[in-house]
Amino acid sequence: MSSWSFTTCLVWKALGGLGMETERGQGPPANVEKMPVICPEIKIPTERALHKNLQAACRDEIGLIQCPEARYNRSPIVLVENKLGVESWCVKFLLPYVHNKLLLYRQRKQWQDREVLVDITCTLLLLNPDFTTAWNVRKELLQHGVLNPEKDLYLGKLALTKYPKSPETWIHRRWVLQRLHRECCPSPSAQKEQRGQAEAWANGNGPGHGERLQRALHEELRVCADAASRYPSNYNAWSHRIWVLQHMSQGSVKVLHDELSSTRLWVSMHVSDHSGFHYRQFLLKALLGELGQAHNRSQTESLHPPLDPRPAAQSNGEAGACEAGLTDDPHADTIPQLFREEMELCTDLIESYPGHETLWCHRRHVFYLWDRWQKLSQGTGSLSPAVTDSNALLSEVRDPCDELQASRAMDIDCVQDGSKHGGYTQDTKRLKRGPVSPWPGLLSEHAFISQVLGTRSTPEQGRFARAYRKWLDSVIARIGVKPKQSELNAKRQYPKFSRTQDSSVSFRTGAAFGTVRYRASDVTVAMWEESLSQTDRQRRKMVEAGGAGGPLHY
Amino acid sequence: MAINGTQIKDVVIKPDAPNSLILDKHADYIAAYGSKKDDYEYTLSEYLRMSGIYWGLTVMDLMGQLDRMNQEEIIDFIKSCQHDCGGISASTGHDPHLLYTLSAVQILTLYDRVKAIDVDKVVDYVGGLQQEDGSFAGDKWGEIDTRFSFCAVATLALLGRLDAVDVGKAVEFVLSCMNFDGGFGCRPGSESHAGQIYCCTGFLSITGQLHQVNADLLGWWLCERQLPSGGLNGRPEKLPDVCYSWWVLAALKIIGRIHWIDKAKLRAFILACQDEETGGFADRPGDMPALLKALWIRDMTGTVPGNQLLKEGFGYCPSQ
Repeated sequence: MSSWSFTTCLVWKALGGLGMETERGQGPPANVEKMPVICPEIKIPTERALHKNLQAACRDEIGLIQCPEARYNRSPIVLVENKLGVESWCVKFLLPYVHNKLLLYRQRKQWQDREVLVDITCTLLLLNPDFTTAWNVRKELLQHGVLNPEKDLYLGKLALTKYPKSPETWIHRRWVLQRLHRECCPSPSAQKEQRGQAEAWANGNGPGHGERLQRALHEELRVCADAASRYPSNYNAWSHRIWVLQHMSQGSVKVLHDELSSTRLWVSMHVSDHSGFHYRQFLLKALLGELGQAHNRSQTESLHPPLDPRPAAQSNGEAGACEAGLTDDPHADTIPQLFREEMELCTDLIESYPGHETLWCHRRHVFYLWDRWQKLSQGTGSLSPAVTDSNALLSEVRDPCDELQASRAMDIDCVQDGSKHGGYTQDTKRLKRGPVSPWPGLLSEHAFISQVLGTRSTPEQGRFARAYRKWLDSVIARIGVKPKQSELNAKRQYPKFSRTQDSSVSFRTGAAFGTVRYRASDVTVAMWEESLSQTDRQRRKMVEAGGAGGPLHY
Repeated sequence: MAINGTQIKDVVIKPDAPNSLILDKHADYIAAYGSKKDDYEYTLSEYLRMSGIYWGLTVMDLMGQLDRMNQEEIIDFIKSCQHDCGGISASTGHDPHLLYTLSAVQILTLYDRVKAIDVDKVVDYVGGLQQEDGSFAGDKWGEIDTRFSFCAVATLALLGRLDAVDVGKAVEFVLSCMNFDGGFGCRPGSESHAGQIYCCTGFLSITGQLHQVNADLLGWWLCERQLPSGGLNGRPEKLPDVCYSWWVLAALKIIGRIHWIDKAKLRAFILACQDEETGGFADRPGDMPALLKALWIRDMTGTVPGNQLLKEGFGYCPSQ
């Protein structure tokens, strides 16, 4: 019996077994297929054939049909061209009914067969996919071999058509995908342990396993894309997509390039989708890491999966990715080209769709990555491999004039001469230009901002352009590459917490107003206040530069 | 070719929107919530019941009406939710999880009845969820998220048992989630998000590591969340939502940059989110109120001079 026919049974049991049969009276158009109502006690032979058809057909979407009352004498389950609908009037009966059934099982008050559990959880999760316990029951069914991973992933995919953000659905998917990997690679080998889990995805451990995992990878990317299109700036869908690449693509440069290509048009049509643009930032960062590591791998045969999200590999953060991108091999030209193309895309979109904050945020991030990669490739400042993003952001404030000086030295001489073209030749340019093209650079970015402000676009466009200028001056121009050693040492001193004997939290109620004061242990409060003081001392210079009202005065 | 990119995602506050706090309505709204236990919506939200109770109780306490809630019934409920592993579930019969373990400990702390549950087992449960890289799983199934790092240390700090985990490693993991804009995501490489930022700054506050945050850079990102209507969003080009007034404001408070937000405009936005008929707050003016949003009036405290409600948070706040 398919899950959907069982759902119908549940509907009518919930309604007290009204025993309604096939549709009668006035109904919707003829092309709407109705599922006959059955009760489990009545075995109708023809139903089995129907159920088989239902199982064979693919459902690609679910939804609620707004129908506040049971007006037609028929099943509330509706199937139209592979779209499965549930009339809304029955949901308020159905959900509590199946919900309680599952909880009785979970509390060991009422046993349920495994097959029944499959159907109960299916119904529940299509109505309330954030019901974590129901997903956990399915995890156990998977562990016992009652469900297979692909079938479970299909349920999640269906749920996401109606609830594209559902965090618990995405969380469950990640568990299932990890389980799928273990199924395909059951016996760990020394080689796999060396390479890490990410690479094992592609290798598989038997005929067809690699193909199965590849199918799963591409299916996941499709599911993410679909969910992203159903809800704007879908954080959960895009962060899942990042997870998929971190865990399922083995750091494949091809996959990263393909993703960059396939999302280019999408983001161009969703210029407010901050998550979509962040995904491209992630791809660029990952490519920086992979292209750099490709050189190292060929040299040393040791593997450092930059996509590995574990902190040991990630502690270099974005700075590490930039560092890894340094290489003398042919991939070196790919990186500047990638950034040029991305900046050009950003420019086109900013000019075409003025006043979108997302586009300016994207520019900030892409320029940040480019700026850091450039500085590392030119060896400006000695970069410790241990530099992390947090170190870079905490490091000493550099004189912004130094930065402009450095960029001028790389730029074509027409700027230094003060004339438009400076009388230089192509040969002169080649001689004067360093090994890496200076564009985009601080000067070109400031020129871009001036150009935008000069076009008298929307007020918001002007606001974002000025904010970008302030950000370039305050952040990019001031980030040094070498943190003070004292700061590096300081951050490694973690507090030691001891068990407190007395009550660590006291609760005090104000008499008149019911004021509440939560007090942590005195140790924690003191440390919090001290650490905040440290932050204030270190950052006072920037606060003064930003003004008492904060950084938003541009 | 269709382009999805409408400009200036914001709301407009109507002139007749509420502009004063209708506390009694909110108290009635919360006190009445859950009185119809067979209600469909009540069932829908049962999976986070423990957190809902915590939020409701805190608001009632802020309004000086905690005694309208049934303390013993709630404590018995919490006891029924502690599992053999020590973890606590959102409701009876549901599976245990770190999110609801924190909420339960917060409720018991509010009532000064922490010893109603087996504290040692809670500590063992939380400690057992820490991974080799310092991160925390939400439950035995292994999902990693910086929210859970916050839940873990907040729970243990309230119980005086931060010694039960490797704080240094936990800090390193959270810092590995710091992004170029000074913000934090759910995992390394994830997009900065106001909710995650709240959890990470709260985490760093509890563990005494706030100096690791670039307060000016992060403060800048946070105060850019304020829109012309005065409301705050959670990420660029998202609509303002009153719940982000909490996440963003609390994070700013933790890093000492709360003065970077326009207080008066935010206050006006929050007041406009009230539902004058039913009580409660909607996520933005004109929408339907929801219990979760009713809590967010607490973010007004500390930002509204002269308001009779005062709260000083030290990072012990809800995780959702």
